[in-house]
Amino acid sequence: MSILSIAYDSRTTIFSPEGRLYQVEYAMEAIGNAGTAIGILSKEGVVLVGEKKVTSKLLQTSTSTEKMYKIDDHVACAVAGIMSDANILINMARVQAQRYTYAYQEPMPVEQLVQSLCDTKQGYTQFGGLRPFGVSFLFAGWDKNFGFQLFMSDPSGNYGGWKAAAIGANNQAAQSMLKQDYKDDITREEAVQLALKVLSKTMDSTSLTSDKLELAEVFVLPSGEVKYQVRSPDSLSKLLVKFGVTQAPAEAS
Amino acid sequence: MSIFEYNGSALIAMVGKNCFAIASDRRLGVQLQTIATDFQRIYKFHDRLFMGLSGLATDAQTLYQRLVFRHKLYQLREERDMKPETFASLVSALLYEKRFGPYFCQPVIAGLSDENKPFICTMDSIGAKELAKDFVVAGTASESLYGACEAVFKPDMEPEELFETVSQALLSSVDRDCLSGWGGHIYVVTPTEIKERILKGRMD
Repeated sequence: MSILSIAYDSRTTIFSPEGRLYQVEYAMEAIGNAGTAIGILSKEGVVLVGEKKVTSKLLQTSTSTEKMYKIDDHVACAVAGIMSDANILINMARVQAQRYTYAYQEPMPVEQLVQSLCDTKQGYTQFGGLRPFGVSFLFAGWDKNFGFQLFMSDPSGNYGGWKAAAIGANNQAAQSMLKQDYKDDITREEAVQLALKVLSKTMDSTSLTSDKLELAEVFVLPSGEVKYQVRSPDSLSKLLVKFGVTQAPAEAS
Repeated sequence: MSIFEYNGSALIAMVGKNCFAIASDRRLGVQLQTIATDFQRIYKFHDRLFMGLSGLATDAQTLYQRLVFRHKLYQLREERDMKPETFASLVSALLYEKRFGPYFCQPVIAGLSDENKPFICTMDSIGAKELAKDFVVAGTASESLYGACEAVFKPDMEPEELFETVSQALLSSVDRDCLSGWGGHIYVVTPTEIKERILKGRMD
């Protein structure tokens, strides 16, 4: 960036001479340091995988997740970026989904939910003099109009529908790996395998264990009900061994 | 005619031994005309929390939808189900918000609290909570319901006996009320299962 850019980057509400919004770009920089999250769309469901960055032994273990959040019964999201910003947006998304259900007595379509959240994010790039949210999201959901969907959104308020996407650290490497290995008729099981494989290749650490990851899936039960399920650490460990992503422990597992 | 008697309703909730029963009639009327005979008055918020709403049907439906809104957000944020006592406080607060333009409903709340202890309560249309250890009633047939329940209630009834007791109390009371009836809908809830049954009574 040139010296001139310094004059244009302290306010979100002005363009630079090159037509860039520096604050928005700086927000995306912040996300580039966060734990990777990958989403893959299959015909039987959507898979979300996230790398946990906070893994101190001192951390009080709780059942709540670091990367994955449920928005409504039929929509969940993975986050990358500043967690405190993410909490605000997740709460907004949850309230929006309930407002829609209250008004129309049916679940909010996934794209509409993403769009409403992105409209909020866009507001912080155009007025108010407030900084943008330093979060990118991967939304996974199901609705009766378009079935399973995966959306990615960033601090500018842009969003897109994807078959496979990655956000956070090394997302470009992850994205190109996904491009190579993704096929249109991928099954949910294969999607889980692909997601774990790609994540293990892009993560900095040498060995993958279930306490460094989170895995969640959005799928439809035989009863027709949409389910969001986070894999337990034990189930995740077994999967990592099964897909050859991690070494099995010395004694029989 | 009072606005509370426009649609007609009858509700009971009764405590048993580590279980509860919540029952309602099935009639939906517009004053003297019967419109539906399968109207649902009792709603499940989660496996251990039920609420029945008597009174004006449109207010009952709207109140239920508002409570679903609040309860879903609670579940997402706290990552757990709402306890019945907490839920009752929420309902009471929502009703009092409309103190000078109230919902014309009387709720009956029944659930399993900590250690599977059954919890029941009712409140008036502006949120005055009434906790009871034995049974609570609401609706156009409430006077008959009070008498019938008082007569047949015994503490610590097992689920099957509780079902029989509540059914008898409900059916005999709605038979004396022209605005409620057309069968009964009763849930008997224990820590392990929810038994839902439809009763056939005098279909008038």
